[in-house]
Amino acid sequence: METHGLILTKRLVKAFKMGQQKVLAVNGLEIQIQSNSFTAIMGPSGSGKSTLLYLLGGLDRPTSGSIIVGESILDHMDENELAAYRRQKVGFIFQSFNLVQSMTALENVEFPMWFSGVPPKYRRQRAGELLKRVGLEDRLLHRPAELSGGQQQRVAIARALVNDPALILADEPTGNLDTQSGQNIMQLLSELHRDGKTILVVSHDTRMLRYATDVIYILDGRAVSEMEYRSNSEPSMQ
Amino acid sequence: MKLLDLLRMILDNLNRRKSRVALTAVGVVIGTASVVLLISFANGMQQNTANQIGNMGDLTTIFVYPGAPMEVGARSGGGGMGAPLEKPLNNEAIEQISTLPGVSQIIPRVDLMGGSMIKFGKLEAWASVVGLPIQDASVLGYTAKEGTTQLERGTAILGGWAVKNFYDPSMRPGQEPPPPPDLAGQQVRVVIFKYSEDGQEIRKTYSFRIVGVLAETQAEADSWLLVRMDDLIPMNEWATGQRANYKRNGYHQLIVKADGVDTVVELTKQITEMGYMAWTPQGIVQGMNSLFTIIQVIFGGIGAIALLVAAIGIANTMTMAILERTREIGLMKAIGASNRDVLSIFLGEAAGIGLVGGLGGVLFGWGGGKMLNLVLLQTLTTQAAENGGLPPTVVVYTPAWLPFFAVLFAAAIGLLSGLYPALRAATLEPVTALKYE
Ligand SMILES: Nc1ncnc2c1ncn2[C@@H]1O[C@H](COP(=O)(O)OP(=O)(O)OP(=O)(O)O)[C@@H](O)[C@H]1O
Ligand SMILES: [Mg+2]
Repeated sequence: METHGLILTKRLVKAFKMGQQKVLAVNGLEIQIQSNSFTAIMGPSGSGKSTLLYLLGGLDRPTSGSIIVGESILDHMDENELAAYRRQKVGFIFQSFNLVQSMTALENVEFPMWFSGVPPKYRRQRAGELLKRVGLEDRLLHRPAELSGGQQQRVAIARALVNDPALILADEPTGNLDTQSGQNIMQLLSELHRDGKTILVVSHDTRMLRYATDVIYILDGRAVSEMEYRSNSEPSMQ
Repeated sequence: MKLLDLLRMILDNLNRRKSRVALTAVGVVIGTASVVLLISFANGMQQNTANQIGNMGDLTTIFVYPGAPMEVGARSGGGGMGAPLEKPLNNEAIEQISTLPGVSQIIPRVDLMGGSMIKFGKLEAWASVVGLPIQDASVLGYTAKEGTTQLERGTAILGGWAVKNFYDPSMRPGQEPPPPPDLAGQQVRVVIFKYSEDGQEIRKTYSFRIVGVLAETQAEADSWLLVRMDDLIPMNEWATGQRANYKRNGYHQLIVKADGVDTVVELTKQITEMGYMAWTPQGIVQGMNSLFTIIQVIFGGIGAIALLVAAIGIANTMTMAILERTREIGLMKAIGASNRDVLSIFLGEAAGIGLVGGLGGVLFGWGGGKMLNLVLLQTLTTQAAENGGLPPTVVVYTPAWLPFFAVLFAAAIGLLSGLYPALRAATLEPVTALKYE
């Protein structure tokens, strides 16, 4: 029954040591996410959402517990295998876009293909196609500073799609955007979901719930039920 | 990551930061240029000296003089010996030396005893009259500037400087000295003198036909009047009033020829150990060579210090670049770059700065050497002409291997100084790097 899930975590713990103090950012978290779902992760600030996403994306290692994504058991992987996992299996979208300022939109989208060994001619073509897909065919040679926030995030989405990963991880992709741009990004993610990708989005924006097929609520590094979540978080949200 | 992509990315990255790369590379340019220039300079000095020593004649030659007088005090108390004994260069000595391995020929030499003077018309000159039992002076590595090196009885060959020594004794001071006479084929008179019991000077004149003038050697042979030994012996017998028996009492010098340049020094040592005084120009060459090796090492060391400073510059630039590009490194890792990719990129950039600087440095060092050659050669040649002596052929000599070595060396320095920063970049935690402000 668990094998149906694309993503599975078991007693997942991520602890940070701050001097004498130990912070449990993720504290025995157990989740299961189905393939081809659009999952929204909700939780108050500091509840461990970003930390979870980094763990799932192979950008960080858990303190204990295990993570299974498809056939990959992340906690068994060495550095090289993790790099290959990030290269082939996931696309990451950040709140702050993380584009290389000195590169054009086209070059930014091409960037991951340098590391996956795609031939130069094909790189250019693929990056162009993806930028067209996100509606930026007339901004190919613009640098990030010459693009709006929404446009920058669309470049970042195109970049996440470049190696055709099954899983897209997005950490507050609309957090830095105005309402309209945020809406566009959500629609774009929804389209990707329709095309068969598994989408996992951390968001404070409740409009995201309209596109989501599943919602995971997180409190203090643990997945909780919607009921528990509402009773605990609502007062503090005010 | 594919190698070609890696190289392209390194080039792109360097290109993107042109001004910083250029500024850092300037240090390497200076370092490499000084290494190239200083080593070339030391090499030029060596070449020059080698050229000048090369003219001294055959480098396979060893000059052997009679052994130093044995110390009287060191000998057993039974004194009564008059003058301390020299170890003579007689037939016994020749036989002894000829048994040494590597000896190809031994030529004994006899010098004229007593005063002499060369006369040509009303011109006079001084030369040291030397007798050798040879038919051709080329055996000793000498070449003729005029005429021939072939020597027959009744003929003589003049040294390169001796020919310029002729002067007119009747000339008043301040008058133009006469130009050196053209002596080839001419008869000259050799006047030798001795003193009788009552102090009277007695002169005797011999006549020789000059058949050749030797090219200058910057050595003793320049002042020779070379004749056949059988011509010289009667002159000495007249001068000393005694029959000469060189075979038993010893010649003035033995010229020993080794069968190769590499055996000369060892042979010289062995002859010295036998109790004679032996000397070879090859010894000077070797001494010079080790001296120039030391000079090269010192000069190279000075350049290397400049390169070390440049290396610190590269390390600094790379460390700064990695700080500035921390987020970019985090991103590279997030989109799938392996630690090795990151390491290779940053190492490549560091080596690239070294390479660019090295190429620039070689260009400047080599070009600077060419310019120095042009300028210095001119002044040194005029100086040499004024002071006498051979003009230098080169001042700065860049051996062919040096530019390649220097460029590779600079790139290696870049690589080395990039090692620590690149390792730090490669092992950055992706999350930490991404969160870096
Ligand atoms: N590198 C770190 N060192 C120490 N503590 C950390 C580190 N990263 C995260 N934390 C702590 O872990 C907890 C969870 O952080 P995380 O960034 O996952 O929260 P979040 O749910 O994404 O919050 P937000 O909604 O504000 O982005 C926080 O208390 C944070 O202080
Ligand atoms: Mg967060």
